[in-house]
Amino acid sequence: MSMTTRSLVLFGCISVALATVAAQSGSPKQWWAPGQGTSLPALSTYENDRGQVGVLNASGQLDTKGHPFFEPIGTNGRACVTCHQPADAMSLSVRSIRERWAATGGKDPLFAAVDGMNCPTLPRDDPRSHSLLLERGLIRVALPWPPRRPDGTRIDPEFSIEVVRDPTGCNTDPVYGLQSANPSISVFRRPRPVANTKYTTHQNFGVSPFIGKNGMPAATDPLTGKPTSMNLMSDARVPTLAVQADDAAKNHLQVAGSLSAAQIARIVEFERQVYVAQVASTGAGNLVEPDGPPALGPRNLAAGDAGVLGNNTTRYVFPLGGKWATLPRTSSETENARNAARESIARGHDVFMFRTFWIKDSMHLNSVGLGNPTKRTCATCHGMHMTGMDTANGWMDIGTTNLPWASEVPLNPWNEAKPQMPLFRVSCKPGVKEHPFLGRVIYTQDPGRALISGQCNDVGTIVMQQFRGLAARAPYFSNGSAATLRELVDFYDRRYTIGYSEQEKQDLVNFLGAL
Amino acid sequence: MNAHRLTCVGVLLLAGWLASGGAASTRADEQRKNFVACPIVRDTASVPCWLAEYEGEMYFLTLQTDVSAPVTPPWLGHQVLVEGVVSSEPRICGGVVLKPVHLSVLPERDASCSTILPAEDRYNLTFEPPRPPGPSKGRLAFDNTPPAAPPAATTPASKEFVIAYDFDGLVGFRHAGPLSQILNFARDVNAREIEIVGHRGAVLLSNGRKMVEEPTIGKQRAEQVSMLLQGANLKEPSYKVRWMDEPAKATGVDDYLSRRVVVTVRRR
Repeated sequence: MSMTTRSLVLFGCISVALATVAAQSGSPKQWWAPGQGTSLPALSTYENDRGQVGVLNASGQLDTKGHPFFEPIGTNGRACVTCHQPADAMSLSVRSIRERWAATGGKDPLFAAVDGMNCPTLPRDDPRSHSLLLERGLIRVALPWPPRRPDGTRIDPEFSIEVVRDPTGCNTDPVYGLQSANPSISVFRRPRPVANTKYTTHQNFGVSPFIGKNGMPAATDPLTGKPTSMNLMSDARVPTLAVQADDAAKNHLQVAGSLSAAQIARIVEFERQVYVAQVASTGAGNLVEPDGPPALGPRNLAAGDAGVLGNNTTRYVFPLGGKWATLPRTSSETENARNAARESIARGHDVFMFRTFWIKDSMHLNSVGLGNPTKRTCATCHGMHMTGMDTANGWMDIGTTNLPWASEVPLNPWNEAKPQMPLFRVSCKPGVKEHPFLGRVIYTQDPGRALISGQCNDVGTIVMQQFRGLAARAPYFSNGSAATLRELVDFYDRRYTIGYSEQEKQDLVNFLGAL
Repeated sequence: MNAHRLTCVGVLLLAGWLASGGAASTRADEQRKNFVACPIVRDTASVPCWLAEYEGEMYFLTLQTDVSAPVTPPWLGHQVLVEGVVSSEPRICGGVVLKPVHLSVLPERDASCSTILPAEDRYNLTFEPPRPPGPSKGRLAFDNTPPAAPPAATTPASKEFVIAYDFDGLVGFRHAGPLSQILNFARDVNAREIEIVGHRGAVLLSNGRKMVEEPTIGKQRAEQVSMLLQGANLKEPSYKVRWMDEPAKATGVDDYLSRRVVVTVRRR
């Protein structure tokens, strides 16, 4: 197929994606524009395909006028809120992205060349230049190669890296690529929710001077010197919310210089008190009734214990209580349908918590004392009470970015679609022990934590995300490879040969959608 | 005559003593099983158990439990070095119980190590409560009770820490705790000097073969521990880092102890 034909195919795909915006149910998602200056209520709710997500300001209503999280403090017109939208559970859904494209013709600051395009060198205002953002909700993240320590010194990596496939053009670009004057690797990742941060930054179980997964020194808070939980971002490259705010301001908002201490303090103060979770379900109704399931809704998150393990029968990851396990049937069809949906959520919880399967060849899970394989459950890895993250140092390779498990376009003469994600070949250097499950040469769409640590065993490991507000922020996984919760469940079913029944899949999706 | 008899008695006694000692020694050797094999995982109605076959006998190594267990399961896809002692406990999952047992996952991949056996009613492991990780009570639960704290005493002028390793292994998931202990002690006593000695181990297998760790492993271990402690911002003490290129003498008895780094922290 010629380049022109490929280009037309891609253009067609994006056009279809954009056309579906108009066809999606419900009114457009509520977009919070930088500098709009309105107040963020103590509790606000936003519609999504599965019901409503709630955003709780635990400190009360917030005046956003002049607030550095909400104001366009950089040079490209964006604010933090651009990629951390209240309606999207303080993350960014691909639905919102497409709606912004449709509403602004691609002029919204969200589509800034620096990272809202597949590569800044591509023509602006052409949806093909923004295909990864428009189709999978991915932001370009350029990381230096070789990796740098926090003090800026170079790490001698355990592996060499080559670009095998570069559909965006950025990794082979003379200015932005691996062979440029400032060698960097462009990977493409989803923005994470900036909410429920007492869980993502806790100082409790698993936080240690040395990383529990590999014995390496843990990243420390530059202000206190204390070890951190290393659960921020896809690769744990920043230790604290303050460092993350400054890093994001420079790299995504294109702030000249650094944020002031006062600006950082206000951003962090906001992020420490905002909680998100689904509050209503299209099927199960109100998720936050009095005496309802104690895991659901943002108020329960605000009241929960942070940084504690929940993968046992004395403290569940997401305690639902027992009320929804079996509910009565009445003469009301509406009530019966609601009760059936609630029972499905309860069954989905039990699938998450108790349905065992063989977990095999997953780095930093099978390699940390559980054995390979280990017969356990979703809750084994997703064990942190109330969020479903790992309690600390939560990077793991489940195959979302590493071949052979990563989602790849099937190549054959009858398929016109072409891969959009880059592909790298990572070769562990002589003298370095090979990766215990993948060997000495690894193909990956995103080396993940390895781009920070320089270690072979970290290739393709990604910090697991929290499970809250999922219904508001599709697509899923760090590379947006699961468009829906069902695709997410199907990935696990395929990866670990689980053999979920159709009922189990539906229940699991309903459970995840209620969080 | 009397002298001759005494001599004869003495010879007999000596022979008997040697014989009894020799027999005991042989029995002790027979109780030790050091071998390399593919691990085998057997499913059960509760948690899987881990086995390995050696010279026609199946041995029970451990079962799936918690990451903090003293013995954690090996990996399919890799051979495992087993260093264990045959215990008198009843078989578990059909395997002769090795206890104590030390398991080292060997670094090289081996695709032939892939056996998963299905659950059978006769190998049922029951325990309470039926939590997903594994047993927390009863015979099959591991005892992870920390040793009693020693009586309060004046802080010693120096303290020695031993870091144990898998065969040909470097620092891994098991070492965050021991490294933290060293770090905390060094900070508590405002350490003046930290001496790190890396050792290269060897093991005598039950079939008479000797396995020696890679030549530079002592150096790698010592330098890595130094790097990790300094990486954890323990930069004030001076560091003395050395290593043993010669492997330890392998005897077949507790050879796992030879795979170690010894860290001596000296206070100001």
